[in-house]
Parts: sequence; C-alpha cells; structure tokens
Amino acid sequence: MSGFALPSATLLSQSVLSGIFVGALYGLLGLGLSLSWGLLRLINLAHFAFAFLAAYLCYQMAALGVDPLLSLALLVPLFFAIGAALHWLMARFAVTPFNSLLLTFGLTGIIEAIIQTIWTADFRKLESVYGEHKFKIGVLYVPVPELITLVLAVALSFAVWAVLRYTDLGKAMRAAAEDAPIASAFGVNQKRNALLLAGTCAALASVAGVCLALSFTLAPSQMYAWVGVVFAAVMLGGLGRALGPLVAGTLIGVSEAITMAVTSPSWAPIVSFSLLIVILVLRPGRAT
Amino acid sequence: MLELHDLQVAYGAAPALWGVSLEVRSGELLCVVGPNGAGKTTLINAIAGIQRTRAGRIVFEGSDITALPPHRFCEAGIAIVPEGRRLFTGMSVLENLELGSYLPAAKTQRKQSLDGALALFPVLKEKLASPAGELSGGQQQMVAIARALMARPRLLLLDEPSLGLSPLIVHDMFAAIRRINAEGMSVLLVEQNVVMAMEVSTRAYVLEEGRIVADGAPDDLLARPEIQRAYLGV
Amino acid sequence: MKSGIVKSTPLIILAAGVALAFVPKLGLPAFYDSLLYLMLHWIVLATSWNILSGYTGYFSFGHGAFFGAGLYTTSTLLARYEWPFLATLPVAALVAAALGVALGAVVFRVKGVRGELFALLTLAITFVIGTIVVNTPLDGGQGVSLSAVPVPAIGPTQSSTFYLLALAAATLTMLIAWGIYVSKFGAGLFAIHDDEDAAEVMGVPTYRYKLMALAISCALAGAAGGIHALFLSYVTVGEVFTITVPLTVVLMSVLGGSRHWAGPAIGAVAITALLYSFTAANHAIAGKAMVGVILIAAILFMPDGILLRLQALFRRAPKPAVDAAHPPSQIAATSSAPRTAHSTTASGDVLLRVRGLQKSFRGVRALAGVDVDVRRGEILGLLGPNGSGKSTFINVVSGHYVPTAGEIVFEGRGLAGHAAHRIAGAGIARTYQIPRPFAHMSVLDNVALATMFGGAVGDPAEARRRAMTWLEFTGLQGKAAARPDDLNLHQRKFLELARALASRPRLVLLDEVLCGLTPSEIDDAVALIRRIRDQGSTIVFVEHVMRAVMALTDRVVVFNHGELLAEGSATEVMQRAEVMTAYLGKAHVVVPSSAQSAEAAHA
Repeated sequence: MSGFALPSATLLSQSVLSGIFVGALYGLLGLGLSLSWGLLRLINLAHFAFAFLAAYLCYQMAALGVDPLLSLALLVPLFFAIGAALHWLMARFAVTPFNSLLLTFGLTGIIEAIIQTIWTADFRKLESVYGEHKFKIGVLYVPVPELITLVLAVALSFAVWAVLRYTDLGKAMRAAAEDAPIASAFGVNQKRNALLLAGTCAALASVAGVCLALSFTLAPSQMYAWVGVVFAAVMLGGLGRALGPLVAGTLIGVSEAITMAVTSPSWAPIVSFSLLIVILVLRPGRAT
Repeated sequence: MLELHDLQVAYGAAPALWGVSLEVRSGELLCVVGPNGAGKTTLINAIAGIQRTRAGRIVFEGSDITALPPHRFCEAGIAIVPEGRRLFTGMSVLENLELGSYLPAAKTQRKQSLDGALALFPVLKEKLASPAGELSGGQQQMVAIARALMARPRLLLLDEPSLGLSPLIVHDMFAAIRRINAEGMSVLLVEQNVVMAMEVSTRAYVLEEGRIVADGAPDDLLARPEIQRAYLGV
Repeated sequence: MKSGIVKSTPLIILAAGVALAFVPKLGLPAFYDSLLYLMLHWIVLATSWNILSGYTGYFSFGHGAFFGAGLYTTSTLLARYEWPFLATLPVAALVAAALGVALGAVVFRVKGVRGELFALLTLAITFVIGTIVVNTPLDGGQGVSLSAVPVPAIGPTQSSTFYLLALAAATLTMLIAWGIYVSKFGAGLFAIHDDEDAAEVMGVPTYRYKLMALAISCALAGAAGGIHALFLSYVTVGEVFTITVPLTVVLMSVLGGSRHWAGPAIGAVAITALLYSFTAANHAIAGKAMVGVILIAAILFMPDGILLRLQALFRRAPKPAVDAAHPPSQIAATSSAPRTAHSTTASGDVLLRVRGLQKSFRGVRALAGVDVDVRRGEILGLLGPNGSGKSTFINVVSGHYVPTAGEIVFEGRGLAGHAAHRIAGAGIARTYQIPRPFAHMSVLDNVALATMFGGAVGDPAEARRRAMTWLEFTGLQGKAAARPDDLNLHQRKFLELARALASRPRLVLLDEVLCGLTPSEIDDAVALIRRIRDQGSTIVFVEHVMRAVMALTDRVVVFNHGELLAEGSATEVMQRAEVMTAYLGKAHVVVPSSAQSAEAAHA
C-alpha cells in the first residue's frame, strides 16, 4: 500500500478532470436506473447488462466499419424495444420491487452468458477514430471519447429533466408514480406510459454502452464492477430525479479520483460505498 | 345522466356492494349518505372507474361505460374528488391543476378552467407554486375540487369532502359545491356528515351495508324513523 | 413457530449426517468429494443466510462480507500465526458474528432501512470491507497462500476431509435452522417478516430478535468461510467480497423456498448439481444462463419457492371444515380467564381514568380535553359523528399516538406517552378497524403468537393449546389451519378479537369491530362481546351500528368536535336534543314521545 502522498497541482487537476469524465458515465448509466426505480418502482439490475450488450454490439459494428456514434441509430430503437418488452413481462406478472431485483439479476446472468459465448471472455478494445484524438486545454488533456461521454451525459440528463418538469407527459409520469389510480382517474394511461419509460431507460443504457465501448476495454466480468458505484450515484442523487445521478456521479467520480491520486487506486471503491452507507443510515427516506 | 343498474362490487371474497341501483339526473345535486362501512367510497370509486365491478352496469349519458379501462372514464365526462383528497403531494398546486386537465379536450380550455377555479377559490392564487403537500387540509380540499373541475366534467363526484376539516371550512366548502351545481354541473356527493349533505342536496339516497335502503327528498328522509334509528338507535 | 414436519426431524437430520459420513469409505474419485463438498458448503451458506433473511424478510446482500470475514480470519491465523486449522474455525465464526452484530446494532435501529434499502446497504458494506481487506496486510492485494498449511487427517484423503468438515457444518446448520423454525424465537422472526410494526405492538422484541438471527447467520457463514479458506488454499478478495456470493445464496433460497428451514438446502443442491453438470460437460457459460432462466421462471411462477408451492398443493386437499361460526365449548370458559379474577357485573371501581386528554395534529384539535372514567366490568360505548375524536381517543389510550396533554391512569399506573407495546403489556388490548393478521401464518399460529408474546407463554406447544381455546371461544376452531386470506371479513374480525384476548387483557378497546358485517353476523359478534365481558374483561368500544350499541352498552359517551357532549345510558342519551342535533341537524330534532314523558317526569 503506497503512503499518503500529495501530488502536484497538474496531476491533481488532471485527476479531477478524469473524475468528472468517469462521473459523467456513472451519471449516464445511473439515469435509466434511477428513472426506472423512482418512477416505475422496478429495480433493473439488467440495466448494466443492456449497457454492456450495447457496448459489445457497437464494438462489433465498428469492426465492420460502422462509426460508433452512427451505430446509435440502430442500437437506440433496438434497446427501446427490449426495455419495453421486459417491462411488459414484469407488469403482466405483477412483480414486486424486490423480486424485480432478483428477476433482472437472472436476466443479467443470461445476457452475460450470451456475451461470453459470442465474444469470449477475452478483453476487447474498440479502436475508433475518436480514440486517437485528444485536445489539450492549458496543461490538461481532454480525450475525445471521454468528452463525447460528458456531452451526451449532460445533454440527455437535461433533456429528461426538461421533459419531466415541463411536459404534460412528464407530469403524468410523476403523478402516476405517486398515485397511479388517481392519475388514471384523470385520464393518464399509465400502462402505456410505463412502457414508454421503460423503453427509454433501456435506450439510455444503450447510449451509455456506446460511451463505455469508446473509452474502456470490455470484458463480460466487468459488468459487475459498475453495479455498486452506479447504485451509489443513483441513491445519492435521489430516485427518479433526472439530474440526480449526474450530479452524484460527478461527485463520486471526483472523490474517487482524488482518493486515487492521493493514496492508491485500490482505495477508490471505499468512497462511493461509504457515501452510500452514510446516506442510507442517516436519511433512508430521502433515497426512496 | 348517470344510471347504476344492480352494481355489485366485491373485494376478494368480501362483498362491498350488493346490487346498487340509483340514478343521477342532469343538473341535480344528489347525495348518498350512510354510516361508516356502508360502501360509499366503494360506490364512488366504481363510478369513477377506479374500482372494478363484479356485476351490474354503469350507464352514463346513454352509453354503457362499465367495461371501459380506468383511464377512459375521465374522457367520458366524469371527474372525482377522492376521499382524503389524494393530491399529488410532491407536485406543485399548479401542476396538480394541470394534471386535472391532462386530456386533450380539457387541455384546450386549460386557461379558462384555471381562471374559473381561481375565481371560485381565490386563496389558491398565492399558492400555485407551493408543493401541494404543504397546504392545510381545507386548502388541499379546494385544490382537489379545482383539479376535478379542470377536467371539465359533466358529472362531479365528491367523496366525503368534509372529512377531517373544521366546521367553518366545511361550511365554505359546501357553499362552493352549491355554487358549482348552480352553474349547471351535475354533482354526486357521498357523505357521512348527514347534516351538511342534506342541506345542499336536492335528492338523497341512504346506503347501508352495501344496499340502498331509502331515497327521496332530504327533509322527508331525516324525518323518517328508520333513518333516526340508523343514526341514533332510537 | 410452525408445526415442523415431525418431532423426530432433528433425529432424521442427525441420522442423515451420520449416514453420509460413510461416503468417503466408498472410495469415489476425488471429483465427487469436491462436488459433494461444494453442495454442503452452499447448503451452509444458503441456510445460514435464510435464518436472517428468509425468516425475517430482511434480505441481506452482505453474506459475502461475513463469509469473507471468516475466510480471512482463518487464513490470517493460519498463514501468519500458524494456528492449528480446526482451532481457527470457532474464531472465524466469532469474528463474523461480531462484525454482523456491530453492523446490525446500527442499521436495525434505523426504521426506514428495510427491503431494497437493506439489501443495498449490506452490499455496500461488503465492498467497503473488501476494499479495506485488500489494502491492508490482511490481504495486501496479493491474496494469501495457504498451500504450506497441513490439512488435518480427518478422512482417508484430503478432499474427503473437507467433505466431512462441510458435512458437520451442514448438519449443524440444518439442525439450528430447524430448531429456530419451530421455536418461539422463530415465530417472532416470521411475525417480523409479515408485519414488523404489528409484531412490535404485540410484544415481539424485534430489535433483539433481528440481532440474534443476524449473529447466528454470520457465525455459520464465518465457519463455512474458515473451512473454505483451506479448501481453496489460495485466498483472494475478488473471489469473496463481491456480489456473486450473496446473489447465489439468494437464488438458492428463493428457488427452494425462503420461508422454510429446508428450502435453501434444496435450492443449494439443485443449483450446485445443475452448474456442475454444465461445467463437467464444458458448458459452464450455458450453465450460468440456465441459472438465470431458472431464477426468472421461479420469480414469475413460483415466487414463494418450490417447497411452499408443494405444500400449498397438499393443503388444497378438501377438509371437512364447517364454514359458519360455532358456539364455544365448555373448555373455553375455564382456561380463558384474565390474569386476575373479577365479578361479571360492573363493580363500580374505576379501571381507567382519563383526565383532560388532548391531541392535536398539525393544528387540528382532534381531542380538546376529555374526561372519561371506565369502570371495571362495564361495556362502555364511544359514539359521535365522524371526525368527533372517538378513534383518536382509542389510538391515544392504546399508545399509538402520544397525547398532547392530559393523563391516562390505568389500574393506578400512569400510561400517557408510553410506547404501544408497553401499554399492551400493561393489560390493555385493542383491535383494528381493518384487521391486520399475519398473512403467512395459520389462524391458530396468529393467535398462538399473541399468546406467546402478549401472554408471556414460553413453550410453543402450550401456546398453541391455549390459542385453540381462544379460537373455540370465538367460534373459529374449524378454521385453525386456514390462512387469514381464506377467511371472510366476519371471521377475520373474530380472529382480531381472539388475538386481542390471547394476551388476557383487563381492558379491551374495540375500534368499529362491527363495520361491514351482515345483521346475523352482528348478532354473533354482540353475543361474543358479551361473553368476553362475562369472563372478566372490561370493554370500551367505538361503534356506529346503533343496534349493537343499544344491546350491549351499560353506558355511552358521545363525542363531538373532540369534546364530550353527553354521557349516560344509551337509550336516554340518544334522545337528548343536543345529541340529535349533532347527528341530524337542528331542523330535524323531533324528541320522541317516550323522552318527552321522561323529561316531564324528571321536571
């Protein structure tokens, strides 16, 4: 274990910047999860599997010459359909929130097996035109893939926030999350809206997946590495709040980065999990 | 306007309504009174589409709406002010009212409906941006009624609007309800507070243990010995 | 507390354990020893997890942490301090249990952390501990090698030694799981699962019980971890402090049935066998997918697990049970007396004295200073229009609400402001307007629970005997084995009454117990309430059904707007002008001729 060493200002700022980038990805991954849990009362562990599946598909299409960002045109509708289908199944069987956690865990295992069968357990890295470029702002390096992730995360989070806040559809979703029977008494078709929302969450997962493919090396077992920290971001940010995961994710990412720069990378996980524990113990009501 | 034919509702094995038949005529203010546990909320929820019925028919303005999915009842022209208000407490008062006019037909008249609601309950003007959960009981009741009016219904359902409110506020509430009815809205009111309900309504039914046991003009009903017996035991 | 399978179950478990101990003598290839070891290993992990999570419903995702704690305790003691292997096992169990208790002591105090939140909290703790372990000399990132440690020669081969150790652990775990299942402790745990707040009010020491279950669960997991350390001979953090262990354990228990002591074991054997058969055929990945499919199918079609589905199928077999309530037998009268003997008529001395009772909710005054005396042995009715404060009165006296002001003196003891379960313990019982029975227990067990925790009976069998007499008293003896969901509203209300009576209270508070009943059912209920008073309890009840009020009450008090409006005999009070006004409005007060002449007589 390395000792406590204070890094240089440049190193620290670069760390903070990379913390912001990874935090943005936490936020993007957490967005769909938070909406699903907060507004639909379903905990979708398979969200991570969806993201990784999308990542692998993006990788595969890149190998066939398709630009990763272009592949979104195919992946987003595909995963929208998958997400809506999954929700339809769970609604049909009236699966409780806790059981949805278990069921989607099962689904995660299945998807992991599919990924491993097709792409094996070897590490895969997407080689894209974006990965080769980086900007320099002052002394700081800004890699393009990470920048794309940040832009997408911010744009999508704000878009969702705006829809929830200002559109009738968004208000209907929030109302139905609070009191579904009364919302339907005023004409809200919650069955249809839920399918829309579930599809959107899965579509968001696929966008996160593409960002993952751009910036990280892929391996099936890597799925689980994100679960803990993204759940932490979701709960810290408050369920069902569009900007929550982004803000909390960035907070966690930066704290982790600073911890890593000051001590050693292996201490990083303790940050997010300790925050999660503290939030749960002190203010459990806030997290639901 | 509204006819219930032999409506039966049961919760699992436990029956709540045993073949209720009644009618609401256009423009009248009808009340259904009865003791606790008589099935009043069940009745209102069935008419609003929130509660599924086991047998019987609900006919509204000539069409049978019994089999419609819950979210289509509002479209048909029925709006509810539920027992206990059931506002969307996490949302602002304005958002609650906007939700009331969620359907396209009501949405086009949203501005007028809002003006009308604020004219009826001026106190809400300063509260539009507040979260609905922060209002007092009486104010919440006003929001609940306004929300239902925003849907521009032809039949307004009220479930125990006086519950949990102090006598003075109840008085104002019923005055507002009377005004709404005077402007042409058909109202079906369900209440345990017999006094207030009978004062505002033109006709009343008495519901006891899931069955209609009496109906007629309020004054006649109150003088009847069986009503006195039901409420006072003597 | 369940009826268990047979009294001889522990013997069967022990016999199986002993019989299986001879397997190494069969001389099977080492592969089978390892497979069987793994099955037993997972039986221990799944069953121990179930003791907390399946029984109480607090699904923990932190089993990996406790298993890992045991694992690392053993490996540290072995590698660094060169302890003999077997001696490390009790220490591993202890360390894991201590960790669990330290955690539980904090987390169980926080009311909001249940369900999904508890699961996530325990998962987070796993990762925190894992990170600490990996960064300290406990592991240091390299893992701990135990290849140099000698394996004690318990069996003919090394692999058979581990098999025997795991067998011992599994036998012990199953015995403990069964033992808890049939005990009063277990009954309390299942009550917590169904409705923790109701259990608390009934007298179940929820905090203490949860901690005990957690400690036992962790200790067993820690022991399994200790054994596993040497089995692996090379220990790393990544194997243990992850989401895999808890999820596997959850899967096994859910599949087999988490409400039964043997469910997890069945799930463990099934899943291990399945996974191994796939691995052996070089289809490990397909095996993982298969497990996922099974889990999904289980959640959708058998959310309660295989075992309970089978049990339910057997229970559906038609029984010669009679539906209608029966009059009570003679036995009921003798053994069901409350703890002190009373005369059956109102003896006049004051049992409950309430003075100046006030209760306000956010500015609304529900009770505005009420004085009530309840005399021993009487039946007192609380009447009044909706919102007049009657239910609030009951809720304050029973401890559900803390009064804003005023005093409540019961049998000379001040009770205002005390917690609900302490008031229940003082001899006051109440029923709820909407019955809240424990849904997953039989009718008999519901009452037996009240007997054990409210009536302080320690032995489950004795409790069930007494519960039966209460069921006979209320006419529900034919439904003893049924679930509360199978009862109609009338029967469920009588069940509520039986539960309230099982703690042998001196004062019974009934909150609109007749609401929703048919006329003949009301007659039954009235007769029952009279019987309750006749065997010595004092009754206060809130009611709207005037027929019953007239028939039952010795006295009534009428509430209006949080104050006492009138008091006296029912017939007399209900004819008073002010009472009639409160109910029907001024214009309709027609004083009946009988009252008029009575007034004339009094003038």
